Amino acid sequence: MAQTALKLKGSPPVSDWKKWLGVTPFFLFAILFLVLPSLRLVMGSFTNSEGQFTFANLLQLFQEQFILDAYWLSIRISAATAIGGGIFGFLLAYSVTVGGLPKPLRSALITFSGVASNFAGVPLAFSFIATLGRTGFVTALIKNVFGINLYQQTEFDLYSFWGLSLTYMYFQFPLMVLIMAPALDGLKREWREAAENLGASTTQYWLRVALPVLLPSILGSMILLFGNAFGAYATAYALTGGRLGIITIQIGAQIRGDVLHNPGLGYAMAMGMVIIMAISLIGYSWLQKRSERWLR
Amino acid sequence: MTHLSLKNVSKHFGDFTAVNDFNLDVNKGEFVSFLGPSGCGKTTTLRMIAGFEIPSTGQITINGADITNKAPSQRNVGMVFQSYALFPNMTVAQNIGFGLRIRKEKEADVVDRVKEMLAIINLEKKADSYPYQLSGGQMQRVALGRALAIRPEVLLLDEPLSALDAKIRIALRAEIRGIQQKLGITAIYVTHDQEEALSLSDRIVVMREGEMDQVGTPFQIYNFPTTVFVANFVGTLNNASAEVVDPAKSIIAIDGIQFESAVDLKERKKGDKVRVAIRPERFNFVSQEKKANIVDCRIENITFLGSIVRIQVMIGNSKFYMDTFNNPFLELPKIGDKDQVTCSREAVLVLDE
Repeated sequence: MAQTALKLKGSPPVSDWKKWLGVTPFFLFAILFLVLPSLRLVMGSFTNSEGQFTFANLLQLFQEQFILDAYWLSIRISAATAIGGGIFGFLLAYSVTVGGLPKPLRSALITFSGVASNFAGVPLAFSFIATLGRTGFVTALIKNVFGINLYQQTEFDLYSFWGLSLTYMYFQFPLMVLIMAPALDGLKREWREAAENLGASTTQYWLRVALPVLLPSILGSMILLFGNAFGAYATAYALTGGRLGIITIQIGAQIRGDVLHNPGLGYAMAMGMVIIMAISLIGYSWLQKRSERWLR
Repeated sequence: MTHLSLKNVSKHFGDFTAVNDFNLDVNKGEFVSFLGPSGCGKTTTLRMIAGFEIPSTGQITINGADITNKAPSQRNVGMVFQSYALFPNMTVAQNIGFGLRIRKEKEADVVDRVKEMLAIINLEKKADSYPYQLSGGQMQRVALGRALAIRPEVLLLDEPLSALDAKIRIALRAEIRGIQQKLGITAIYVTHDQEEALSLSDRIVVMREGEMDQVGTPFQIYNFPTTVFVANFVGTLNNASAEVVDPAKSIIAIDGIQFESAVDLKERKKGDKVRVAIRPERFNFVSQEKKANIVDCRIENITFLGSIVRIQVMIGNSKFYMDTFNNPFLELPKIGDKDQVTCSREAVLVLDE
């Protein structure tokens, strides 16, 4: 009887299937565009051109020099842009949070970062070609104003390792700003005051308290930046046209290319990428948890 | 002997005066509380002693040495913050030893001092725990240990118990007072909780709108408030407008009902408007105890407050509270009853209107 009375008093019970209604589109989307392609990728990497099961594709990953070079190049570009973008983004985030710059500047930078961190692919490549390409606006300006031809008198080349890294930096540092600004906001004023009160200088506070507290966030963010650059394809392809054989371009060539067409090998290379990205994300997630525990 | 001294200290933020002409001498080993509502300037004054704010005018000295413009790191003043401010990347022991390591003390001495502090705050078993593994009360004890580890000249406590629940607050405040007395350290304690200030302090500075309203022992502050603000802020107080009837005999009248006070009113004139203040616990029903002032009243309301029963009565047209200890055999009047209450002459405080 008591149970009946309780049921009558409470809100009407929601059918189990209704609880799942809101997330159904997401799961459908994930199944169609994440789970199924992933399964296809795994199966494809174990399949040869005749459709038979094989380990040859995976073995080739460690045997073919151009594949190892492609991974290594991608890792180097991703690491360079993660470190560069990370440092640059951290300094910017610091300036507009604890650095004491005017508040309107913070809003402007955060808005810019929100837009710039998503500005990648063909438009970004073309905007860099239009500014820093051989006949780009800035290249011409430097030549006309300072008399320096970037491409003839310096080592600069937009279509090289550093050129591509510079282009990636455009979306890397804003992403760092977006992640680090809340972490820097999480530094409590009382920590600094407590450190000062106990005799610490500003440098000692940063070295012994603030940076160690922020370190998981900084490293985690850099891992995210690494993953962000590692998975980039369209920007590099549009900018260099395949001159730089990063792993995503090599995968594209294997799956869609006319000359190097070997989808099985392409899938195996993509699986290698997935493993590297997964390791990155696990690292990011572990560091983020540690950071949240300290900054809450 | 004066240990900490604040002379004519003021702090302005633009046009706003946070602290105005603050003067206080604190003796070695004394526990002084700054008590007042939010925005009265108590925390600003504390932060000026710590060095986080520089006074606009005035001078602060410790042991006669001027520290007014010294950096916080150069003052040797320990501070306990409301939000604990423990370094989250360090264990309890590392937090306590932080100040000593910054001062480059020998590692063996640091270890000994940390052990000593852990024993004082009774957290020996938590030495290797991180702050996120501690309760609020434990964190505040670590903060206290950390502030004391550097052997500060003065210990500053900025509402250290306000984030804790009631039971822990009461236990920890006794612990704080015990440690302070044991170490004989000079302490300044900021609070808006009158009970905390009354139970902990040797002296209380009641502040209002950046100024000191009254300085005195808890006994003086509670029993002999000198301003209406202090009278109202510290404890519950009945107060009503009154008129001086006979200055020579210290008789005043509330709505025509006469009260005799122990306060000397010879300097006032007949007809002067004053404010009368009487603590609720100083009233009694006439049937229980005969006192000097016996007045008619009507029972308006009765409220149980645990150990206390608060009875609201009307004396003339003025509303008064009287407190009586609760006990199961207490015979209470009924709402609407007419009765008589009494209070001693000493209970009737007379303040400026």
